[in-house]
Amino acid sequence: MLKWVGVVLALLILAAALGLSVVAGSIRGAYGLVRYALPHMHRGTLRVGDDAPDASLLALDGSSRFHIRERTGARPLVIVFGSYT
Amino acid sequence: MVQIYKDYKDHTEFLTVYVREAHPTDEWQMNSNVKEDVCYAQPKTLEQRVAIANDFVKRFNYPTQFGIDDMSNAANDAYAAWPERIYIIDERGRIAYRGGMGPFNYHPEEARAWLAARYGEVKREASTVGPDKTGAKREK
Repeated sequence: MLKWVGVVLALLILAAALGLSVVAGSIRGAYGLVRYALPHMHRGTLRVGDDAPDASLLALDGSSRFHIRERTGARPLVIVFGSYT
Repeated sequence: MVQIYKDYKDHTEFLTVYVREAHPTDEWQMNSNVKEDVCYAQPKTLEQRVAIANDFVKRFNYPTQFGIDDMSNAANDAYAAWPERIYIIDERGRIAYRGGMGPFNYHPEEARAWLAARYGEVKREASTVGPDKTGAKREK
């Protein structure tokens, strides 16, 4: 019985690895996805109609700061989050 | 996103927020970044974030207002932003559009549709800004 449980578990792990490899493009990508991406990916709880959260941001000059809220009010604000890589 | 910015900047504010790197050299580096010479380690200091953000803006002559998230990742956490995400906040300070989590559900065309529904279809001359990591090359 234990032997079959082990076989089934191994097959499930293999299927998961293969599935992640397809999504990430390679076995190495699957590792990167699990190790580095998934811990930082969150669906979040914000919904349309919620008050937009505020946060302090640093400007490109590296010294001055502003708040997201400072950029809202007169017109809608499109916010794009991202990085270089 | 650059093309959307060009099309709707007369109606709407745009703000790009730099958050932690998605594919740094010391984590999950992508071959495409090596080919494009976009190779950075994950910043450990705010100064390093500022330097990378400036490299990005200079390389692509990126036109929108730009802010950099703190090392505490406060903005990222508040908006569940990583690795990339789009929101639209209306004049009352409320979420009017909440984009999906990138990269698989990152769809700038949805933000464009929201803007088009409000201000009408706008399509100016195509952007001459190069491909970027905030959606320009994915825009349909």
